[in-house]
Amino acid sequence: MIQKKVCMVGTFAVGKTSLVRQFVESVYSDKYHTTVGVKVDKKVVAVGEQDVTLVLWDIEGAETGHELRQSYLRGAAGYLLVADGTRPDTIANAEALQARAEATVGSVPFLLLLNKVDLGEHWRVDPEELARLRALNWLVITTSAKTGQGVDMAFATLAQKIMGD
Amino acid sequence: MPDEPNGTIHVESQSLADEAGMEELRSLLLGPTEKQLADVHALLTDPQRQLKEVAHILPAAIAVRSRQDDELTDAMAPTVAAALDRSIRKDPQPLADALFPVMGPAIRKSIAAALSGMIESFNQTLAHSLSIRGLRWRFEALRTGRSFAEVVMLHTLLYRVEQVFLIHKETGLLLQQVSAGGTAVQDGDMVSGMLTAIQDFVHDSFSTRRDDQLETLQVGELTVWIEQGPLAVLAGVIRGNAPIELRSIFRETLERIHLQYGAAMKEFKGDAAPFAPVAEMLEECLRSRYHEAEQPARSGRLLTPFRIAAALLLMIVLVWGFFWLRNQRRWDDFVARLRSEPGIVVTDAEKRGWKYHIGGLRDPLAADPQVILRESGIDPRGVVDHWEPFTALSPEIVLARAKKLLAPPASVNLKVAENTLVADGFASHQWVLQARQAVRWLPGLGQLREDNLLDLERIEDPLLMFQLDRAELVPGQEDKFTRLSADIGRLQAQAQAMQKNVRLEIVGHTDGSGSEAHNNTLSAERAQTVANALRTRLPVWTNLTVEAAGTKERLRDEFTEADRATNRSVTFRVISTDAR
Repeated sequence: MIQKKVCMVGTFAVGKTSLVRQFVESVYSDKYHTTVGVKVDKKVVAVGEQDVTLVLWDIEGAETGHELRQSYLRGAAGYLLVADGTRPDTIANAEALQARAEATVGSVPFLLLLNKVDLGEHWRVDPEELARLRALNWLVITTSAKTGQGVDMAFATLAQKIMGD
Repeated sequence: MPDEPNGTIHVESQSLADEAGMEELRSLLLGPTEKQLADVHALLTDPQRQLKEVAHILPAAIAVRSRQDDELTDAMAPTVAAALDRSIRKDPQPLADALFPVMGPAIRKSIAAALSGMIESFNQTLAHSLSIRGLRWRFEALRTGRSFAEVVMLHTLLYRVEQVFLIHKETGLLLQQVSAGGTAVQDGDMVSGMLTAIQDFVHDSFSTRRDDQLETLQVGELTVWIEQGPLAVLAGVIRGNAPIELRSIFRETLERIHLQYGAAMKEFKGDAAPFAPVAEMLEECLRSRYHEAEQPARSGRLLTPFRIAAALLLMIVLVWGFFWLRNQRRWDDFVARLRSEPGIVVTDAEKRGWKYHIGGLRDPLAADPQVILRESGIDPRGVVDHWEPFTALSPEIVLARAKKLLAPPASVNLKVAENTLVADGFASHQWVLQARQAVRWLPGLGQLREDNLLDLERIEDPLLMFQLDRAELVPGQEDKFTRLSADIGRLQAQAQAMQKNVRLEIVGHTDGSGSEAHNNTLSAERAQTVANALRTRLPVWTNLTVEAAGTKERLRDEFTEADRATNRSVTFRVISTDAR
């Protein structure tokens, strides 16, 4: 079976771990984040006829690109940038993190997830900002780790892009 | 004559003119090349310029030649070695400086490995010093003369490699995984991911050098040994204390994997299928070693088919062994008994095939081997015997032969002593004569010794003469009577010694004159006279009877007075009352 390493990258408390938890039944405890700074899970998704094992590296939150551990990104076939739709600064951070990630692993497929879409009244995504990112050919998906909205689709889309559509 | 010098001058001027012309011609023809030729000439003669030219092409020339073959290297090796040698002699510092960056890490690494091994064993020694088991081991060390650390090591060197992971270094994805039977298999994909993450974490957090990597993880009694390769990492999960040699097995396995799958690992895009055959190589790392005393119980089940079969087999072997031993013992006893049997010489006694074979020489008078065989308890069907008859000279057989031939009366005891047949007791004169003759022909015997043999002739032959018509002995027979009573005394003693019942009949006789009635009375009186006389000499004799024969057992026909005198007598008969 094909395996692919996928990283979850984003600022603190944007909901990376909750997204992963929504996506898979976790084996390792969340304690790993505070000790090692990463937690590894896996999920098998179907891409067309083929099953692909996504090995998910849920990397601890980083404010800036410099805080992102490059060694954890190494060898990733794709990554999910996670931002909090209620905190505009996290979207800006996502750009910095993306630059750092691309410098490390090259131009591999990635998605921007705007999480916490369930907190409707606090949603503060600037449509212009969004348009700008989409113009850069970014794929943006709104998700909710709480309701599960967009989660499966996000992982499936990334898997598809990794496998070359 | 004057012409001659003129001529000569002419020629000279002519040749001078030619010279100038040639020069001109040459410069016309070779003008451009002349300079080049001059250059070549200068090059060949000027060492300084030659040096420059060679220096120009030397590096390229060396490179070209090196690609061709090793001859240049071979040629230069001695020179380089000599140069190095001279350089070091002159001043070792530059070379030391050059080697320092290489030597340092190499030496440090080797010292570190040695130290870590030493510390490991030191720790083990400390850990086991103060327990009951430790004390037992200490005693063992004292007893066997080993060092305590060595004993501890012997007892603790138990390990099992439970799982081995081959992890792609770049992505942290699992390439292949094997596990020992019965061990819990974690999800290899995640384990390899986390292992990689932890390695990265440790490397990023604590390490200062690029090539320093996490080598060991210790969790309780589990140890994870991580072997780093350029493209892949081999991680072995070990329960217990593995020997350091296991590291080299891991390393060699990883190297072989790199050799065979290096290209595949470089191009790895997440498809682990091409690495399926690696499992076989990884399985070589699944080693284990247990101390005999601490072999884990394989399972709770006591009665596995294997154990039942083993127990049955053991039982069969034991029973068979018992019978085999018993038979062997019986056979040995049987052979020993035959060997001790007189008249039997065993020359062959062994087991051939399924049967025992016994044989040799046997005197016909010796014991019957078949009887002894039956008594031994051995199945006669399993024994083949073959005996050659012979004449044995052992005393027992010689005696048996003598007894068979001489048929001695019950009152005679025979024995053999030093080639002599010894006869004790009493016997008829006829038997004594016969025995004397026969003994000469018996093998192993020369003569008959009869010191203690009483020839009954000595009692039954003599007559005691009586006066005419009187119950009184003719005078002058005292000596005869004395001899007779002595012999009767001997007979009595012999009979007593041999516990034979012997009766002495004293028979009275008369001559033919006188009436029969008178003769009967007279003969009875004569016999009684002798009996009384004997009783005075042999008081203990009890079994003594008196017979009155009268004229019925006439000793002689009476033609003369001497015949009649002979018949006026008393005779003796010895009657053995035991059945002959």
